[in-house]
Amino acid sequence: MTTLTRQDLNFGQVVADVLCEFLEVAIHLILYVRDVYPSGIFQKRKKYNVPVQMSCHPELNQYIQDTLHCVKPLIEKNDAEKVVVVIMDKEHHPVERFVFEISQPPLLSISSDTLLSHVEQLLRAFILKISVCDAVLNNNPPGCSFTVLVHTRDAATRNMEKVQVIKDFPWIVADEQEVHMKEPRLIPLKSMTSDIVKMQLYVEERAQKT
Amino acid sequence: MDELYLDNIDEFVNDHNKIVTYKWLSLTLGVHVNTAKQMLYHYLEHKRKESSPQLHATYLVTGKLEDNGQTSHRVSVIREDQLEDFKSKMSLLVSVHVYSVQKALLKDSGPLYTVDYDAVKDNLKNCSKYSAIRCPNAVPMSAVELQQVQEIQRAPPSMPESKRSPMSGDAGVASKPSSKPPKGIMGMFANKSAPKHQDSSKEVKPEQKESSSVPDGLKSKPASKSNPMANFFGSQTTKKADKAVKEEQEAPVPVASERRSSTPQEEEEPAAAQPHKDIKTDSRSKTKRTEVSDSEEEEEKMEKKKRRRIKKPEPDSSDEDVIPDSPPQMKTSEPSPKKEPESVQPSRTSSETKIRRRRKVLKSRIFEDEEGCMVTEKGYVSESYSETEDDFQSAKPAQRDIKAKLTSSSKDGEKKAHKKASANSNKGTKQASITGFFQKK
Repeated sequence: MTTLTRQDLNFGQVVADVLCEFLEVAIHLILYVRDVYPSGIFQKRKKYNVPVQMSCHPELNQYIQDTLHCVKPLIEKNDAEKVVVVIMDKEHHPVERFVFEISQPPLLSISSDTLLSHVEQLLRAFILKISVCDAVLNNNPPGCSFTVLVHTRDAATRNMEKVQVIKDFPWIVADEQEVHMKEPRLIPLKSMTSDIVKMQLYVEERAQKT
Repeated sequence: MDELYLDNIDEFVNDHNKIVTYKWLSLTLGVHVNTAKQMLYHYLEHKRKESSPQLHATYLVTGKLEDNGQTSHRVSVIREDQLEDFKSKMSLLVSVHVYSVQKALLKDSGPLYTVDYDAVKDNLKNCSKYSAIRCPNAVPMSAVELQQVQEIQRAPPSMPESKRSPMSGDAGVASKPSSKPPKGIMGMFANKSAPKHQDSSKEVKPEQKESSSVPDGLKSKPASKSNPMANFFGSQTTKKADKAVKEEQEAPVPVASERRSSTPQEEEEPAAAQPHKDIKTDSRSKTKRTEVSDSEEEEEKMEKKKRRRIKKPEPDSSDEDVIPDSPPQMKTSEPSPKKEPESVQPSRTSSETKIRRRRKVLKSRIFEDEEGCMVTEKGYVSESYSETEDDFQSAKPAQRDIKAKLTSSSKDGEKKAHKKASANSNKGTKQASITGFFQKK
């Protein structure tokens, strides 16, 4: 059917849109499943034809949306290597890191009719895996907070600092203590390969959480 | 049957960390659903004896429940720790069986639906191959019959045919008639306890066959598409003691935008009576019991397939908050036998060429209370919308007192919402933005 290549104006945007929507849903779901915020603020909504939990809190939603809005240009240009959702304890030491490794094949082309429904199916599987991840993870200590880190290729961040994508929402280089975790245990959750994107999700968990 | 299945289930549960529902197991192993249920039960027993890593299970409980003097038939998915408690509340237990086995303690019932989704989608044509529900009269319509239904549908202009469907757009018209038969089945399972609903539900089944009465039958459908929807979403913030019935989740979610419901108070009733998401089916469907979802899903999934084709070109146009927040449209123009506070509405609202209707929508309202805390309240608000619009305008949500009497509270809500609705302007946008809910505080 439609054959789009990377040169096509909209193609990178389509992939970035799909991924950012997915990341938004995934972040909300991680916050719900890992009890970062009380379950009362979450509401069931539908995505990819299945129920997911999304938060209703306006400031939280705005924060997540702004974050992903800034990440989107990086994904469009395939500069984002990893998007990491870090859950930190009260002392701001990471206890868990949900790592989404994203890579896009260099010669992309959408040539299949069922591509997008196939991608939807794969993303649905990710959602399901996040929902049951509490079986393989230890409980977090109370009073956790979260943050989102983006690992980029090359020097893409220099551009980000120069041009503020969203006013008053600056990105800063992460502290050493937020990036590194003591004695991490790696638990793979899910990986997917499709024509437009390859993604892997794994969790790094600190051996001693409390 | 040999003991290999124990190893299979063990592999699924422990190695792959899957949620194994009986339906998924039956489709995967190719066995009858009752066999799958037994397998899960034996597996649980076996594992519990061995005291291996902790497993969690959910059960499907069917029976009669007395509630404020009204008896209702209830089908619920219950977590194991609440099982005994729930069973003791029932006046008559019809069936209890294992619904799923998993390692994770599920915080909510969403994943139970997600698990079966792909398995059923792949086996769309024969997903009821292993089910225990049989109805010789339920056959898919042939193309000829389908056309007849479509013609009848288009012919009467006064028939409110609006199938608001932002996701499917034009496909809504095409898929409308074919969704009528599934709706008939759906109507039966989404019934509320009131006996009057049961009467209209009985109409629904025979009307499936008669194409001429299709529009009428649908209108008088006890509907409560809104009910499962309400139950699905409305009780999210309340204690998650019980889990929702999965069948109802599946059906309303994909076809939510195309369903119609005619009574507002039905949504209240479950909200009032049960903070949990329990659905009552009418006595006629007792024989179908828990395998209810299988036959209806067949048509449901066919619908999904059709819609998805249209939806595909714009994968990113769907917001997360698209349909499910609003229970499907209400038929307000027809006088229903039950008390219908909303029947007054059409006379007030429709004066233009576009037919404006009122509809109950579940809205969340966030505001600050006296102590400066942010409070989220969910309530039903009657919104006005127009047929030709893809999206609806939002009215200020009216807070309903759940304990109040059905009629009085719904009438109050009507008046409140109506005043606020008239104050709102028509946005006329294709999609409500995600922050639209929170702008009015």
